[in-house]
Amino acid sequence: MRRRGKSRWRTPAYAFVLPGLVVFTMVMVYPTVRALFISLHEWNIAPGAESPFVGLANYVKAVKDPVFWRSFQNGGIYMLVTVPLQIALGLVAALLLDAKLRGRTIFRTLIYIPVITSWVISSLLFRYLFGAGSGPINAFLVDVTGVISEPIAWLGSRWTALVAICALGVWKGVGWAMLIFLAALQAVPVELHEAAAVDGAGGWQRLRNVTLPSIRRTLTFVTVLSIIGGFNVFISVYLMTGGGPADQTQVPITYLYRQAFSFLDFGYGSAISFMLTVLVFGVATAQLWLSNRTESEGPA
Amino acid sequence: MRRSTTWRSLAVAAALLLALGACSGESDTGTEETTTSTQAATDEQPTTTTSTTTTAAAVEEQTIEFWHAFNAESSEVQVLEDQLIPQFEAEHPGVTVKAVSVPYGDLRQKLVTAVAGDQLPDVVRADIIWVPEFASLGVLEPLSELMPDFEQLAAAVYPGPLETNHWQDAYYGLPLSTNTRVYLSNPDVYANAGVDIPATQDDLRAIAPTLVDAGIAAFADNDLSGWNVLPWIWSAGGDIVDEAITTASGSINSPESIAGVSLLYDLYTMGAIPEMIVQGGMDPYEEGVATGQYASMMNGPWAYSILAGDYPDFELAPSLTPAGDGGSVSVVGGEDIVVTASSEHKEAAADFVRFMVSPEAQRALAEIGQMSVLSELGDAMVEIQPYYQTFVDQLATARPRPPTPAWPEIDQALKTRLQEAFVGDGDIEQALNDLAQEIDQILADS
Repeated sequence: MRRRGKSRWRTPAYAFVLPGLVVFTMVMVYPTVRALFISLHEWNIAPGAESPFVGLANYVKAVKDPVFWRSFQNGGIYMLVTVPLQIALGLVAALLLDAKLRGRTIFRTLIYIPVITSWVISSLLFRYLFGAGSGPINAFLVDVTGVISEPIAWLGSRWTALVAICALGVWKGVGWAMLIFLAALQAVPVELHEAAAVDGAGGWQRLRNVTLPSIRRTLTFVTVLSIIGGFNVFISVYLMTGGGPADQTQVPITYLYRQAFSFLDFGYGSAISFMLTVLVFGVATAQLWLSNRTESEGPA
Repeated sequence: MRRSTTWRSLAVAAALLLALGACSGESDTGTEETTTSTQAATDEQPTTTTSTTTTAAAVEEQTIEFWHAFNAESSEVQVLEDQLIPQFEAEHPGVTVKAVSVPYGDLRQKLVTAVAGDQLPDVVRADIIWVPEFASLGVLEPLSELMPDFEQLAAAVYPGPLETNHWQDAYYGLPLSTNTRVYLSNPDVYANAGVDIPATQDDLRAIAPTLVDAGIAAFADNDLSGWNVLPWIWSAGGDIVDEAITTASGSINSPESIAGVSLLYDLYTMGAIPEMIVQGGMDPYEEGVATGQYASMMNGPWAYSILAGDYPDFELAPSLTPAGDGGSVSVVGGEDIVVTASSEHKEAAADFVRFMVSPEAQRALAEIGQMSVLSELGDAMVEIQPYYQTFVDQLATARPRPPTPAWPEIDQALKTRLQEAFVGDGDIEQALNDLAQEIDQILADS
């Protein structure tokens, strides 16, 4: 960034940031602080009712609660599975569809359709696809291909249910990653590719040394956003398994939703939500910091 | 440089959180359908004060808001808004009812949010299992104190549904509609297999292998919550908590309760109950009975209207819940009508409650599948819909789920423990012992 004229632009810059900052404070900072406040009480939602201060009791409860840990574990697993897959597949799709390919608009649209499909509809669709017994996935695996001999009760146990939930996450996320990558790829100067080609670089080398470095910021952007989205997974789990069977597939938000809205334990629900916020904020910050550092220290 | 990088990272991370937050914002799905009062009461002579409230001057203009989950797709909302409310408004000049229809799945969350925001309406049609919970929050008006004629009204309804309004020393609502689950079977399946529809739990156990050999599940249900398993536990002579709702030990882990749950587990492991029973209550199973995939199910009167569309020629065979040592005991479902403590028009709200539980309104609702709570209409029910007969018979012994604010938590514990046992090692006795301890703890904390 050019440093010239920095002070002259400062005031208008703040003025432009202000509206966003106000909204941000209202819909993010205030609720977060409020959640922290609620989490320190045995919260009674009725207006005027007493809500005794309980200190860190709700946090202690969480630490001792095996389902709390499992929910964060599942959220982490979901994130670790869906984010790399989403990025890798999105990048491959973007690279393929950046080329002058016949019918590429159709392919782009097809890959993007899941993104604009409602989470509710796609969750119910995947619940049907992964149905026990005679669901289409089972039918394909058992009757059509014979890969397995007995149908799997996909949503009936933790790991198979997570497979189904992650599959939905990837299916729905690839198109979005592809779209962002496509935009970035189109901004890569053709001259760079031409120069590299003149220097004798093959396709693979050009990809590694020209394309990927040019879209590194985009890569960071997509990664950070998908990680945040991964931890915040809710609708798909809520509708496909409801966190079950026996709380095996709880993720942080389904679990805090149940504590708050089913059990009216808003103190505990807020404690979980606050911890989730801190975790996501920490991970995102660390990641941006790391990527900025490698950028400023790495070869320009 | 390093410092600014860190801060920039923080800012960007915060902005991203904001973006995500915006994407996942709650959507308010409650569709407001305001009923327009047909006659503008301002022009009319407001001297005819019919209610007991005496106002010095003219009749006060009052609007009471009524939240309900009557089905907007069937004729329920239509009957409410085009027939019942206009009639009530005609009988109570000056009172306007603003009915707000909320899908059932969203109503509870909307109510919870409204409690927190002090935005509750005047009258709510609440699922019977919510009433003690909201009463314990102090947001409901005890009708037994508000309405001088409460005892008469209470005496006219079935005792089971009435009990769902009981919390501590008062009644916070009146039952509006009721239902229960009975055993609904596909008669052709039984005829082809050469067995009878089971009248007892022992019968069911005996015929299950025959049906399984024929590739048919003997019985289908889609969850292991109290709504689903309590009929089996109660009919086997067991219970979930003691009568005072103070402890579960000795009830849910009694030999009778273990027998009731074990029956389900044994059927499940031999393939006589399909997998969906452990999958959390989201799968429809009515169709499987119509197609002969499942021999029977436990279900409410709405099963008839669900199947009527796609299977007009199919006829369900209803029978009582298979009996055990405790008889044939099913679970009470339904809706109560409650008045909120924050209502500014409690008298008008009480009038509306009176109207909704009157024989006239109850009959109108029964025509469209809402079984009446008035015992005097028991015979009329069967005239209206012959298939109500079994439900009416079953209601005589049906029991409500324990009326306690802790019920959602107890119900979740029950479901979780049973799912664990069913998909796990199948040690039902151990699971119910653990569950008893867990429920005792929940009850002690509440």
